[in-house]
Amino acid sequence: MSSERSVFTELGTGWFGAGLSPHALTRLGDCCASARSYAAGDEIMREGDDRHPFGIVIAGRVALRLLVPERGAITILTVEPGDVVGWSALVAPYRATSTAVAVEPTDLLEFDAEALRRALREDPALAATVYPRILEAVARRLGATRHQLLDLYTQQAERVPW
Amino acid sequence: MVTAAPQRPAFLPRGELDRLLDLLHEDGRTVIGPIARDGAIVYDEIRSAAELPAGWTDEQAPGRYRLNRTDSPRLFNYTVGPQGWKRYTQPPRVPLATATRDGATVSFEPAVSEPQRLAFLGVRACEIAALLVQDRVLAAGPFADDDFRARRANAMVIAVQCTRAGSTCFCTSMGTGPEVTDGYDLVLTELDDGFVVGAGSQAGERLLSQLAPAAASKAQQQAVTDGVAAARATMADQGVAAEGLPARLMDRLDHPRWAEVADRCLACANCTMVCPTCFCTSVGNVSDLDGATNQTERRWDSCFNGDFARVAGGNFRPRRQDRYRQWLTHKFATWHDQFGTSGCVGCGRCIAWCPVGIDVREELAAIAPPYEEPAAPPPAIRPPSLDALVPLPMVSYSPSVAQEPAFRADTSVATVRAVAGETADTFMLWLQPDDEGLLAARPGQFVMVDQPGFSPVPISVSRVADGALWLTVRAAGAATQAFTTLQPGAQVGLRGPLGRGWPIDRALGRDVVIVAGGIGLAPLRPALDAVLAQRDRFGDVLLAYGARTPADRLYLPELDAWAHAGVEVAQIVDRAGPEWLGQVGVVTQLLDRRDWKGRQAVAFVCGPERMMQATVSTLRTAGITRRRIFVSMERHMDCGVGICGHCQIGPFFVCRDGPVFTVAELGDLFGREGM
Repeated sequence: MSSERSVFTELGTGWFGAGLSPHALTRLGDCCASARSYAAGDEIMREGDDRHPFGIVIAGRVALRLLVPERGAITILTVEPGDVVGWSALVAPYRATSTAVAVEPTDLLEFDAEALRRALREDPALAATVYPRILEAVARRLGATRHQLLDLYTQQAERVPW
Repeated sequence: MVTAAPQRPAFLPRGELDRLLDLLHEDGRTVIGPIARDGAIVYDEIRSAAELPAGWTDEQAPGRYRLNRTDSPRLFNYTVGPQGWKRYTQPPRVPLATATRDGATVSFEPAVSEPQRLAFLGVRACEIAALLVQDRVLAAGPFADDDFRARRANAMVIAVQCTRAGSTCFCTSMGTGPEVTDGYDLVLTELDDGFVVGAGSQAGERLLSQLAPAAASKAQQQAVTDGVAAARATMADQGVAAEGLPARLMDRLDHPRWAEVADRCLACANCTMVCPTCFCTSVGNVSDLDGATNQTERRWDSCFNGDFARVAGGNFRPRRQDRYRQWLTHKFATWHDQFGTSGCVGCGRCIAWCPVGIDVREELAAIAPPYEEPAAPPPAIRPPSLDALVPLPMVSYSPSVAQEPAFRADTSVATVRAVAGETADTFMLWLQPDDEGLLAARPGQFVMVDQPGFSPVPISVSRVADGALWLTVRAAGAATQAFTTLQPGAQVGLRGPLGRGWPIDRALGRDVVIVAGGIGLAPLRPALDAVLAQRDRFGDVLLAYGARTPADRLYLPELDAWAHAGVEVAQIVDRAGPEWLGQVGVVTQLLDRRDWKGRQAVAFVCGPERMMQATVSTLRTAGITRRRIFVSMERHMDCGVGICGHCQIGPFFVCRDGPVFTVAELGDLFGREGM
């Protein structure tokens, strides 16, 4: 990652950044945005952490995990390039809902949570561009989670004909 | 039945009816006719006219049937009893095959149908219509039932005109009566002193010339006309608005009345048992105690039975309202799509024999009333005679697919080469069939696998190679568990290939999107094999594969091999431990934000229905139209008989018309609860 500018160029190619106005990009750049690289296995945030950043995956893959006693860490979702990690930084009570781990070398565009929240409070135009994207990301996860909850690939009928 | 030119009607005094019976007996026929027994008119063997129900008449209403004594000398002064003639044309139990096991060797002998020569005496106009409907269902199509054909060909039809109608009768509105006009050998109209007789076939003519009766007088002929008119008049205000009913009914699939009628319905299946056209059956097994000999037989079944729609994918009509809706919409609407005629002939049996008195006429009027009262009675549409029947064209997108999935009991033997575990609950059954015809299975087709003592199991073919079939099976129930114990060299029965598979030819020159969920990859593997065999004839090929966990993925080595052979292989699992570095989530995430707009891509999708719905929605957003998205409803398949009725979705029999459909073909039926 040579400069923040090129990171923002990358951001524009993913679904989250596509169509953001120059104004929004500038304002986002002001929110302590930084490009950060994680090695495979690095923890990006931990479940319950209330000071975690908001990030956009530029490259690599991030696993969202929940620790289940006696079953260990279960990956419930992976986040692919273009998608967001740490949306909980923008929604009270700002605590991470899962542990995020880079499962391969991963580049993230990270924003300081407090600075970003302040910018969104102060700039309704920015908020009007960013929040629908956050909502879309969260809605997709909700949809996916519902399908996973159905556990469709198991044989669920109590009695099968054969 | 060859229809003869109309002849002048004759008159047979009642006392001479036995001469007719004698002629039939001399012709080697057993005569089945009405007798009063157990408080009802039933059809059974009669040896002389003295056994006919002289003086009996019936009184019918919703949930009510009574026989009453009268002073009338008439023998046919009732309307219809509980039994239709289907008891003799499609009996409650028909043997299909005998399977025997001798050590590891098994053999399958089809049952031979040798029906008796019969004469049906006292067949009413609505019942003739029912026989003609049965002809369409069981004899006219490419899925003909040989047993039915033989029974039908061996039965002579001696009709009786209705000169009175009961309160449950509504043949006039279904266009099937009350006048007998076709489909009979002889027709009798009973008067107080005898019968006006006419012939409707050459066989009937011969009988009539042997009887040599006197010509009927003008007055007697007028009495026939008056009698039929009287029956018709009784029914003037007790029918259903049949014209346009199929469309109206299918438009009301979400009417609250379905739930309301289901509260009254006991799901006892009486209506389907007394219905002269209901044809659904199940294939069952009767085994001796050591399992050495096993009889497969076909038995009457009913869509009202709780387990009727229980298939591999679960019970898709669990609620009573689903089952009532299935029955009524099939009978009055989708039957037209399947067989070109209504399934109802207006005999009213389902009304009288419903223990809680549900009246289909009332339900139809409440659920799908006509938009306006017709000014004149709907024109009578008669089903064509047997001679005029032609097979109906079935929905087909790929005429090249040869299929003949009629149950011909032609199970052949296959030898087990190996049984090998694929995942914790699936295994590969590697079978070498004796009949090389099975190796012609096309991608997406299925076979019925038969072990003596177990119900035959429908299984999609997951590869054809080296003169053998590869089947991927999930050990879910008794029969599939039993497969896992088979040793190399053991034998099983195989029937098929069956059904309509993936139209690989439709994908030539296009991008191909293959989306598999869980074991749904099995029927898609032959499609991948076919694409890879001529890889350069297709555009981009994507396999998006979703599984429960990494360990539940099928064909692991092949996933890599396909990736090297020019297929983009994307995988995702529902959940995983930290050792899994691939994607976690749902299969649609592999398709999100992709774009096939304007590229005429073709998609093949197989998996649990809910997963297919989500996938179809994502694919459509990505620019693939409903006509180019093919889904396999393989989990709906049941007996593979082609006509048992279990797997029906709206107008489709999944095992015959599918299991592969375009999303456009299924339309609203795809994903609708309780269809």
